[in-house]
Amino acid sequence: MSSSLGRIKALLIKELQDIRTNFNVLVMYVIPIFMTALYKSFIPQMPEGFALGFGVLFLVVMVGMYVPSMIIAEEKEKKTLEVLILSPAKPVEVFIGKGLLTFLSMMAAFIVLLVISGNYFKHFDVLLSATVITSMFSILVGMMVGLLAQNQMSTGIVGLPLYLLFMMVPLFGAMNVGVMKAIGRVLPTYYYFDMIRLAFDEGKGIFDMIAHLGILVFSVGIAFLILLLIYKKKRLE
Amino acid sequence: MIEVRHLKKSYGNKEALKGIDFRVEAGEVFGLLGPNGAGKTTTIKILTGQIQPSSGEARVLGKDAMKQKEEIKLHMGIVPEKANLYERLTVRQNLELFCRLYGCDLGQVDSYLEKVHLMNEKNSPVKKLSKGMKQRVLLIRSMLHQPKLLFLDEPTSGLDPASAEQIHKLLLELNQKGMTILLTSHNMEEVEKLCDRVAFLDEGTIKAMGTIEELKLKYASRKMRVWIEGENGIEEKLMDMDGRESAACMEEWIRQGKLRSIHSCEPTLADIFVKITGREIV
Repeated sequence: MSSSLGRIKALLIKELQDIRTNFNVLVMYVIPIFMTALYKSFIPQMPEGFALGFGVLFLVVMVGMYVPSMIIAEEKEKKTLEVLILSPAKPVEVFIGKGLLTFLSMMAAFIVLLVISGNYFKHFDVLLSATVITSMFSILVGMMVGLLAQNQMSTGIVGLPLYLLFMMVPLFGAMNVGVMKAIGRVLPTYYYFDMIRLAFDEGKGIFDMIAHLGILVFSVGIAFLILLLIYKKKRLE
Repeated sequence: MIEVRHLKKSYGNKEALKGIDFRVEAGEVFGLLGPNGAGKTTTIKILTGQIQPSSGEARVLGKDAMKQKEEIKLHMGIVPEKANLYERLTVRQNLELFCRLYGCDLGQVDSYLEKVHLMNEKNSPVKKLSKGMKQRVLLIRSMLHQPKLLFLDEPTSGLDPASAEQIHKLLLELNQKGMTILLTSHNMEEVEKLCDRVAFLDEGTIKAMGTIEELKLKYASRKMRVWIEGENGIEEKLMDMDGRESAACMEEWIRQGKLRSIHSCEPTLADIFVKITGREIV
């Protein structure tokens, strides 16, 4: 009989073996790195932290949501999710096992972004804690998109409006576009981007942003519950 | 091993199962036969806890198929109709994933691969395998945790005769070792070869059930076809099994040494299905 940890490890190993030849997914990790390097090299007058802010926001929202949505939609499309449902793995283990590699890869890409943006770990405590929690939120939303989409092709239709909402609204909100700021207040990614802004523009530390962190943690909890509800509904269809 | 009572399942207005009842005993190979859309896959999905019935009861290994599915799934294996393997992973990686999920020995993978002649393909990505090879990988995957009960949904659908034969051989071996098997099929030859008992499922109801011999005798026409040595060579005659006239003819032909062959004209399972439902299994 396998343990819960053993089953999560089994899924992590599978994801690691699978991602090596999954170019659709691999290419997504390159985009934020490429874009941050581009901003940094060609627009040097950009405010401090903006190139990094854009890069990590893209990483956390687009990569964090797109990659798991594709992974889960593929499992659904190829009926391999059925096999996992019928195995001893519990839903929580399936989601942790499948999301863990995306999370670890995102953290590796995050470190690369810190280095190429020239930030060299300034405000590291704020950036790390906010990125870790928001990444979890994004991965959970990506998994929801994967479960709701019929197949890999339709993840775009289901997911794109969400990706744009979670990414563009905080960006416009930071530029003080009124409506966007108002909408942004209900989105966790707004608080994520705001934490980066507060750290870089106002020099605030992690203890000044406890409320922001609280909102992010709360969002992760809610997203996880919604994911489990969707999974339970979908598995019985 | 399996007990189904008044099982019903509706999808919207469409009734996929209209209240079916059957039992499968331990060590038995039980076949659910019927055309596409008869309700075979729905029945398997309910028994394996994948979908909830609208009403009725389904018990597997003495447990409620919905309420106790977590306990049941440790002891059952499933071979679906369509290969649901991880295509980018190799055969070995696919099987090792399931060993890890069930906590069984990784070392047994090679011995199973050897048994189904897939050792040479163990490091090939699944997407490069033929349909027959994939089906054999699915069968191994379903057996890794040594289940007591195996569900097979159209196990040899679309396979070439040689691949189908290999699968049949393996299933019979497993059954001889005590594994209970429930399979769905619309391949009558396969069913005759493998099953101890069968149920004909059509439009969500069981139309007939029994051993293959029982069904054949029940629906036999009581005619026989005989071949005798006639004046112009071998002659074929269709005769009633009952009656003095047939008995007298047979006695005469035997005495004269003219009888060459007798066939009892039992119907095939396909004939029985047509007789019961008025249409072919397709």
